[in-house]
Amino acid sequence: MRRTKHYRLAAAVLLAAAMSLTACSAGSSGGSEAKSAGKTSLTVALTGPPTNLDFTRTAGAAIPQALMSNVYEGLVKIDQDGRIQPSLAESWTLSDDRKTYTFKLHPGVTFSNGEAFTADDVKFSLERVKTGWVSSLKTKMDVVDSIDVLSDSEVEVKLSRPSNAWLFDMGTPVGAMFDPSGVQDLANKPVGTGPFTVESWKPGEAIAMTARDKYWGQAPKVKTLTLRYFADATATTNALRSGDVDVVYNMQAPELLPTFESDKSFQILDGTSNGKVELTMNNKVAPFNDVRVRRAVMYAIDRKAVLDTAWSGHGTLVGAPVPPTDPYYEDLNGVYPHDPGKAKALLKEAGAENLKITFTVPTRPYATAVSQIVVSELADVGIDATIETAEFPAVWLDKVFTKHDYQMSVILAVESRDLLTAFNNPNYYIGYDNSKIKDLAQTADAADEAGYVEGMKKVVRTITDDAAVDVLFLFPNLIVAKADVTGLPKNSVTEALDLTAAGWK
Amino acid sequence: MVVRLAVNVVRFIVTFFVATVAVFALMRAIPGDPAQISLGVNASPELLAQTRREFGTDRPLIAQYFDWVSGLPQGHFGVSFVTRRDISDMIADRVQVSLILVILSMIVALLIAVPFGTLAAVRHRRTSGILISGISQLGVAIPGFLAGIMLVVVFAVGLGWLPANGWTPPGQDFGDFASRIVLPVVALASVQGAILTRYVRSAVLEVMSEDYLRTARAKGLGKLEALVRHGLRNASIPVLTVTSIQLAALIIGAVVVERVFVIPGLGSMLLDAVGNRDMLSVQSVVMVLVAITLIINLIVDTLYTVLDPRIRKQA
Amino acid sequence: MSEPTAAESVPQFSLPGLEPGPEPAAVVARRGRRKVSATLIVGAAVVVLVVLAALVSFFWTPYDPVKAFPVDRLQGSSAAHLMGTDRYGRDVFSGILYGARITLMVGLISVGIALVIGTPLGILAGMRGGFTEEATMRGADILLAFPALLVAIMFGAVFGASTTTAMVAIGIGSIPGFARVARSGTLQVMSTEYVLAARASSQNSFRIARRHVLPNIAGMVVVQCSVTFALAVLAEAALSFLGLGTPPPVPSWGRMLQESQQFLGTFPMLAVWPGAAIAVAVLGFNLLGDGLRDKFDPKLNGER
Repeated sequence: MRRTKHYRLAAAVLLAAAMSLTACSAGSSGGSEAKSAGKTSLTVALTGPPTNLDFTRTAGAAIPQALMSNVYEGLVKIDQDGRIQPSLAESWTLSDDRKTYTFKLHPGVTFSNGEAFTADDVKFSLERVKTGWVSSLKTKMDVVDSIDVLSDSEVEVKLSRPSNAWLFDMGTPVGAMFDPSGVQDLANKPVGTGPFTVESWKPGEAIAMTARDKYWGQAPKVKTLTLRYFADATATTNALRSGDVDVVYNMQAPELLPTFESDKSFQILDGTSNGKVELTMNNKVAPFNDVRVRRAVMYAIDRKAVLDTAWSGHGTLVGAPVPPTDPYYEDLNGVYPHDPGKAKALLKEAGAENLKITFTVPTRPYATAVSQIVVSELADVGIDATIETAEFPAVWLDKVFTKHDYQMSVILAVESRDLLTAFNNPNYYIGYDNSKIKDLAQTADAADEAGYVEGMKKVVRTITDDAAVDVLFLFPNLIVAKADVTGLPKNSVTEALDLTAAGWK
Repeated sequence: MVVRLAVNVVRFIVTFFVATVAVFALMRAIPGDPAQISLGVNASPELLAQTRREFGTDRPLIAQYFDWVSGLPQGHFGVSFVTRRDISDMIADRVQVSLILVILSMIVALLIAVPFGTLAAVRHRRTSGILISGISQLGVAIPGFLAGIMLVVVFAVGLGWLPANGWTPPGQDFGDFASRIVLPVVALASVQGAILTRYVRSAVLEVMSEDYLRTARAKGLGKLEALVRHGLRNASIPVLTVTSIQLAALIIGAVVVERVFVIPGLGSMLLDAVGNRDMLSVQSVVMVLVAITLIINLIVDTLYTVLDPRIRKQA
Repeated sequence: MSEPTAAESVPQFSLPGLEPGPEPAAVVARRGRRKVSATLIVGAAVVVLVVLAALVSFFWTPYDPVKAFPVDRLQGSSAAHLMGTDRYGRDVFSGILYGARITLMVGLISVGIALVIGTPLGILAGMRGGFTEEATMRGADILLAFPALLVAIMFGAVFGASTTTAMVAIGIGSIPGFARVARSGTLQVMSTEYVLAARASSQNSFRIARRHVLPNIAGMVVVQCSVTFALAVLAEAALSFLGLGTPPPVPSWGRMLQESQQFLGTFPMLAVWPGAAIAVAVLGFNLLGDGLRDKFDPKLNGER
């Protein structure tokens, strides 16, 4: 009896010991890297981790945010003001019919696996968009007719019709250059021509990158770069204060800024982004199939108050779904001033007094903040909006985006130059009737630069006049960083977070 | 004894497989198409169909279920179609983090609860006893995440004594590990300690009223001495029970503290996987939790027989 | 020898409900008799306060708790706003009053679910034994592996986050506690002489359950209700923190606390009010539970 008891005790103790032993080899979140590595490393805090590292097969802005510019590069890149600049292509020419681009490639470029970057890789990468990509982005390459390798350093791309948008897209993820022998495990091991390579990736926690020895361009300022992912904004600023991270990028809680504003050891960058916070109305179903009701909503909402209350005044009022970094931007804030009286009159005219609507709100901080103030303002003009939360992305995508089963929603649309994707397609979830803009848009894309800008401005004015969507404000690109960090990209023009120039004073 | 163990093992297996069916069924009821989430906006129907085929979510449910279950006994959970990583590896990482956090917290909680609970019982009519009871009542009443946030605000952001969040494996840099685990452990252990203090107190009070203890005291032993020599083993049984239940509940329950302190534990993995509709990962994490809970039950059940001779005789 | 020899028919290791055991009779008895317990009074008073706040909110709150007044946002306490205003300019005091309603509802429904499902199962297991007992207790074991938080995460995904989802999840998570309390109580009652007599005279089980078991375990079950209520309030707060609780704009204490997190550095009082409300309510229900336990436990005479 005694003996068996001791055995059992021993077994229990052993088990407990085994548990704690296995526990000792646990995984890391890279928490300590920032402190030990000194000034040749930079740690950036982000929210919203990528689910894997392959943006050719997985949607979402998180993967290109981390990898474009840092690991992958395109023939061209988009600068901080939204202009197209040379990158892997030194220069290019456009034929007179505006349909053939000839790119001259930069010499001496290699991929991180050692392979040389040549015209064949351009052909491979662009063709792979059509054949290998599993992403809705691939439609951006539909306009490409053929790709011809002229020499190792020259490549010719023929388009089926002139397109102003295409060259811009070549600076976004869809234009990223891949090596044929480096695409086996993109989800875990990206291979690109950029200045950094991915050293390690822990899903949901961190991506660690190191600078390459043989980078063709300007070497990055730091040797190691760590992107750490946090569940909420408070955790990011806490980590900044206690020195675990050096930069908080695209901060999601402007309420936290005041405590940093007065502190000399931190700097705040308040840049612009492509993100449009859109109050979307289903143009195809009652009551928003009536343009008067949509206009009433535009007059009912005090966008300045929404911005001040929901986002502490950080952001830009634009009045249309176009950020100032787009060439066809113009200030349309004056079209629908805050005028509850006019809103009520329009609702009366439309026979839509005492409206009851459902407001489907995705579970995101900006959406929660915006929705509460919007509901309150709608109530002032007699629209009773009931909030229904939709888990983002899963439920929102399913219900609102795919099934169009909603009346009103609010969403941060982050894709760059997505105006035509959203409004030149009646089957899009917004359901805007594109008959008035269809021809305008096509003429604009095929025209020369000036014609493009003029044509697109007309498109934007038409959409605004039809009150297709209420753009509440342009999302700010808020960055809080230690005071001696330099070279941070203030504006977010494409999805990429370009940290190649970031370093220390 | 052997019979009892065998019965328990059979119970374990049956319970486990009943749980697989429940979890699988529940997961299929979740709205949201993994393929759609993976492709995001503007995906064409062809792309969606292709992705569903790749993920295997277009196959009959029965086939999906058996594919998954047949891998479980070997601990093979498959490759997540969201992260494209081996789920077993990811869970192995996360489970270690969770176990370190939870076990350390429970140890600290017991270190608080056993002496203070005993003291509160022995001195239950004196100021010190009442004070301990009062503090433990308060400790139980404060939401865990609030305790965590306050700790961060005071000790990390305010005083700057400790890092605000993050995790370093003990094997990599023990000093850093230790400095980072202090606050989360304090946050968890203060609440759990308060709960356990109340149990220890009532268990000790119960034991103190037993005849054998009164006999021992009549023989001239002091209150505390009698208790330590004769009573604690009996008082330990209900405390052990509660500790085991709390331990199992805390592996997921710690998710709140994981969020506050940015700790990559199993609870966070579960939340993320649910958000991404990473069905395979969710199912696998839940089954690991079920297994851990059942194993804890099994161990505790065995410990009972060690602690309580009456149970041993029964078996 | 020192080891206890009393061999009872009820194994001592049967898991209790998730609450500390009663104050043993002998301990209590020594303290003197028939004094109304202070714990009970304080607990009951706090609970009454919460109920009152909830009731009042049906008829009157100083302001509409969901109406935003952007101009008045983030004010401190004043005559106009007793507890100040939040980031949307909503009156915090109105939110606290209204939140009491949500808190009570969450507590009542989740306790109700656990009570209605868990108690009969526990009694059944205790009376029948054999396969019924085995199946019920194994079921409870499985449920133990699904704590309220896990159920809520999964239900939140299936049905969307809402107060209802949270209540049901907390309710389901609390079933094992009730089942265990009812079972262990039933086992004790079943071994008493009068039940043995009743069984010998072949009364049917339902009658025994109603006449003998139920009245005798009622006290323990009431205590379990009170303790579970307190746990439910905490669970709702935790779920709200994770975004799985009551959705906006309805003010629940948990969500008010969660929303105030970002203002801890600048407007800490925003967190203090809902935090204090939760702590006080939980304390109240726990104290009530302790007080009731002393009163109801069959071994006791109800004093402290």
